[in-house]
Amino acid sequence: MPGWTHRMAEPLLAIERLSVAFPTRRGLVQALQSVDLSVPAGGALALVGESGSGKSTVVLALLGLLGRARVDAARMSFDGIDLRTRAAEVRGRRLAVVFQDPSSSLNPALAIGRQVAEPLVIHGKLPAATARVQATELLAEVGLPRPSALMDCYPHQLSGGMKQRVAIAMALAAHPDLLLLDEPTTALDVTVEAGILDLLADLRARRGLSLLLVSHNLGIVDRLCDRAAVLYAGRVVEDGPVPGVLGRSRHPYTRGLLAALPRPDETGLLSPIPGNLPDLTAPVAGCNFQPRCAFAAAGCEAPQMLTGADHLVRCHRAVALEGASWPAPAPLPPPPVRDGALLVAEGLSRRFGAVQAVDAVSLTIAPGEVLGLVGESGCGKSTLGRLLLRLIASHAGSLAFGGEAIPNDPTRSFRRRAQIVFQNPDTALNPRQTVGTILRRPLEHFGIARGAAARTEIARLLELVRLPASYASRYPHQLSGGEKQRVGIARALASRPEFIVCDEAVSALDVSVQAAVLNLLAELRQSLGLALLFVSHDISVIAHVADRVAVMYGGALMEVGPAAIVLHPPFHPYTQALLSAVPVIGRRARDRLRLPGEPGAVHPGEGCRFALRCHRQLGQVCLEQAPPWRDLGDGHQIRCHISIEALQELSQGS
Amino acid sequence: MKLFWPGIAALSLIVLAAIIGTWLTPYDPAGFAVRLRFAAPTFLHPFGTDEFGRDVLSRVLSGAHLSLLIGFGAMLVSLVGGVPLGLFTAFNRGWGGTLVLRVADLLLSLPPILLGLLILAVTPPSTLKTIIAVGLVYIPIMLRLTRAVAMELLEEDFVQAARARGESAASILAREILPNAWPPIIVECGLRVTFAILLGSALSFLGLGPQPPASEWGVMIAESREFLDQAPWIGLAPGLCLCVLLVTVNLVGEGLRARLDPSHG
Repeated sequence: MPGWTHRMAEPLLAIERLSVAFPTRRGLVQALQSVDLSVPAGGALALVGESGSGKSTVVLALLGLLGRARVDAARMSFDGIDLRTRAAEVRGRRLAVVFQDPSSSLNPALAIGRQVAEPLVIHGKLPAATARVQATELLAEVGLPRPSALMDCYPHQLSGGMKQRVAIAMALAAHPDLLLLDEPTTALDVTVEAGILDLLADLRARRGLSLLLVSHNLGIVDRLCDRAAVLYAGRVVEDGPVPGVLGRSRHPYTRGLLAALPRPDETGLLSPIPGNLPDLTAPVAGCNFQPRCAFAAAGCEAPQMLTGADHLVRCHRAVALEGASWPAPAPLPPPPVRDGALLVAEGLSRRFGAVQAVDAVSLTIAPGEVLGLVGESGCGKSTLGRLLLRLIASHAGSLAFGGEAIPNDPTRSFRRRAQIVFQNPDTALNPRQTVGTILRRPLEHFGIARGAAARTEIARLLELVRLPASYASRYPHQLSGGEKQRVGIARALASRPEFIVCDEAVSALDVSVQAAVLNLLAELRQSLGLALLFVSHDISVIAHVADRVAVMYGGALMEVGPAAIVLHPPFHPYTQALLSAVPVIGRRARDRLRLPGEPGAVHPGEGCRFALRCHRQLGQVCLEQAPPWRDLGDGHQIRCHISIEALQELSQGS
Repeated sequence: MKLFWPGIAALSLIVLAAIIGTWLTPYDPAGFAVRLRFAAPTFLHPFGTDEFGRDVLSRVLSGAHLSLLIGFGAMLVSLVGGVPLGLFTAFNRGWGGTLVLRVADLLLSLPPILLGLLILAVTPPSTLKTIIAVGLVYIPIMLRLTRAVAMELLEEDFVQAARARGESAASILAREILPNAWPPIIVECGLRVTFAILLGSALSFLGLGPQPPASEWGVMIAESREFLDQAPWIGLAPGLCLCVLLVTVNLVGEGLRARLDPSHG
């Protein structure tokens, strides 16, 4: 039991020995095992962990919304109210929640005003007219522009960030003491996330709110919380003040998580945590992280206790390992980029209805080169990726691959040489085919191997992506997310391509798995001499994989150049904003740049597309004239009205 | 689904009874016995007798094959017609697909019984025609379902991957779409069998299916309604049999769907 709960006055929220088990067909899944947590009045606790750690289960247990699960706790009290029996009395009132996906937490059939006013009428017992006035004030409080006009809008008319602000307004309506935030910014772009985090920090200060933040993102934990509890497979493994947990981590798992986290200011290989989550139907008595731990030793099989004064850790080697860091993989030799151009796109364009998704994009990719394509959601980066593969037809422009012009309906040879890896491992594989069948199809289709030769080739492909050959007989549902993604990569490799588009290929994965898949891609392009177009919304990921970076906004490229140059000043103002919005551990919040407006808000007409959101807009010239490409040498180009000198000068300060 | 095997067993029993049933019972299903009219169920006549003194059990058994034929036959007709057309409309977004869809919508907008009537009323009724009529009525429903499932699957990344390999439409259909589209189609087939039996019975009830003295269950129910107050068993027996058949078909359909899912069990 954490000692610090006793030193303070009675905490607002106190959980002691909370265990939750879900009955399933495979047996009882132990989602939480004896979890102790507490949030003091006005405090902000972060619950950190990867998917399957049980962090969302804690939230549902607090709200009494676990249905048929077996919940067992020595204590679960909120300001003296026993949540085990009386959760329904406080939930939605003094204990409010904001969920991850704002598009599914708002009712699409009701106007915004009605949804925000509803808790005021139901819980606050206010007359409808008063509730409406208060709802408008709430919308203003969460930073929404023109709140009275918004009252009559429907959710589909709002952007993701605006919807999340509405969800926060709804949570605030009943004057809660504690706000439960379940991955509140995970579905949002970084530039929008930054604004939501500001709002939450501000609300905390202004209203004296306590927060319980559930997140896998260590950067936002650093930004918003003063204490963090790290959850691994249903157990709290570390619990302490945020600077301590993130700065001087004591549990190997926390160190592993931090080592696996990509940072926009670093390049090279990340340090993945090997292996998968343990089987929760058969929890071990000893340390459940031991099979994946780089520091495992004798004694790990014994049950581990949470020990320490203020910074608690569940590891018997914590003292011995003070200062040790998670082992990093051996660095790779320099990338095998060859001269010349493998792929050349000239003025590629694509419309969807009235929307110009991709507007006259020209780019080249050299053999063996990794081009990172970064931008916010809706900027057209995925469409561009598919245009380059001729998976969708272009309305204008030309594409050449290996010196040959590629028409909209390409030859089989181009299909063999250019492949794709998808974002979502759950939909990328046909659920009714075994891994072997999935990998055999491209081999047969392109006439690479048949029969016994195909079996040998499948085994080789699985080995390439570091999966055992026995996986050939498995179905996708028997694999973890990371394993599925590896099969997706193996399928793309089967035709022995020279070029692969990785469309957000690691975005759906947990950090530890993401690091492993990123490293795998880095090794594969090294050994196979592959060229990659790495599409991602996450500029930190791009920093770790790309040789060159292209920054996209509103369907057009804004900046192109070598990664080492693009990610450092001087920047295009948009690149600067993207980099600045990333919540990096240890960076001060006030140093971060805030972009007005919504992602993808494109300035219409001739001017710069980014002009409306640009923090360095020069005025008329930006609004009326198309910005020129400015060449900074070394293949670094910026499309901006601001002169190179001014870009260089001003960037020094940021 | 735990009730799959009981469902299979019950369905097999019904099919078996439909095939060899008439040899099992000692009575001629069409044999009149004036002195035994409206006899209540007894040991000798477990389901009683009807207004002509015919043994109801014998009649139910001899009519079972008609209900089964109409149910499964009509389902097959709608399956063979609806699934390919559904796949065609999912792939073809041009005028061809649109034309097929509009015709299907037109058929859907008519009440099924009316549509059945329309097809059957102009020509002399027969069992085969009932099967075809009921099947045709259900083709648009099968088509719509197949199209919806296929269109959803076409957006999936594994289909995109097949396109990125330059696979032909036929190959994408056979390898990627159909294996994933079967489960909802099979469940729908189970439902269609039951609805077809009901619609077939309804059409027979209206005199547009197998003709008396055929002991199709719908015909039996139709004939029994005059005697509902004095001899309820005449209608109850075929009605109950219909009920049991529908439940078993549903159990089997649902069980098949679960069994075809590789992530099951």
